[in-house]
Amino acid sequence: MGILKHLLFWPVTGPIAGVEWSLSKVAQVVDEELTDDTPIKQELMELQMQLELGDIDDDEYVRREAVLMARLRDVRAWRERLGKGVSGGPVKVSSSDDAEA
Amino acid sequence: MSETQLHSPDPTQAPIEGGKYVYCIIRSDRQREFGGIGIGGSNRVYTVHHNDLAAVVSDTPIVIYDPTRENVLAHEFVNETVMKEHTVIPMSFGTVFRSEEDVTELLRSTYQAFSEVLDKMQDKIEFGLKVLWDRDKVVSSLEQDNEEIRRLKDEITRHTSSSTYFARMQLGRLVESSLEETSQRYVADIHEFLKSVAVASRSNKPIGDRMILNAAFLVDRAQEGPFDDRVKEISRKYEDILTFKYSGPWPPYNFVNIKLKLERAD
Repeated sequence: MGILKHLLFWPVTGPIAGVEWSLSKVAQVVDEELTDDTPIKQELMELQMQLELGDIDDDEYVRREAVLMARLRDVRAWRERLGKGVSGGPVKVSSSDDAEA
Repeated sequence: MSETQLHSPDPTQAPIEGGKYVYCIIRSDRQREFGGIGIGGSNRVYTVHHNDLAAVVSDTPIVIYDPTRENVLAHEFVNETVMKEHTVIPMSFGTVFRSEEDVTELLRSTYQAFSEVLDKMQDKIEFGLKVLWDRDKVVSSLEQDNEEIRRLKDEITRHTSSSTYFARMQLGRLVESSLEETSQRYVADIHEFLKSVAVASRSNKPIGDRMILNAAFLVDRAQEGPFDDRVKEISRKYEDILTFKYSGPWPPYNFVNIKLKLERAD
């Protein structure tokens, strides 16, 4: 039955299995991109450097900084939604031994 | 999403402004005031104590501070002010505690580590040194000085046939490796030149594609003048090719690494 089922249904099962796989892959990549703030912080440092070097003026800096801050907030929101740790916000000394700053 | 919500307890007991923003840890057994220079609107900066340790704090609502230039500068300005009279252990930007008791608990539970690091950092300050170059300028000086590069360039300009494809590839690779080698030589020279006036140094990842060095130096307060002179001297030596961005004194951000056992306080 196995092979017959496969023959009969392959135009359906084949592609769908593939779609499912790639969707989960996409979800994983999206998930990582949504919740990683490292590239944003990197861009922020580069922006600051450009201001220091006089490559951009204050207005331009403020404008682009606002965009980066909005992206940082988005990442924070996604991390909260997905139950990942969030930096910033109120902290206290950990009562358990395995928590980290 | 810039604020975390405070589920409201008895309002007479817990004012919404009960939070403390912590800038740094110092050794002091008497109450200190540093003026209205705190983050988020010129709040009063003062100390919270446990034995001979003190946390430098200002009052804050329970919020997440965005690392905007304005906020980061406010954080740094407080540390710079405190540093004038104290050895400091800087806290990460944006560290907020819910109450004074939580800050005292931090001092109490981390007392040993803070004390040891304060001893080690006694009278030490940090300077930042970023060195940038103009890549095109360096490439053209390489073309003048390196015979092999000159020969390949000649070959490419003399022939127009496809045989120059390999010469071009070879040239590209040679220029890349010469650049890498040159940058390493400059960086090594700078480190060597500053070694005698610094206690320690750390190289961080360069920012952007023009930077060849992004370093922090730990310097004894007594050596501040000599360190300054050496930096000026080395930047004069390279003034035609390199741009030096020198900053400080900073608290020893790059030389203190205490992993605090903190968790979110909701």
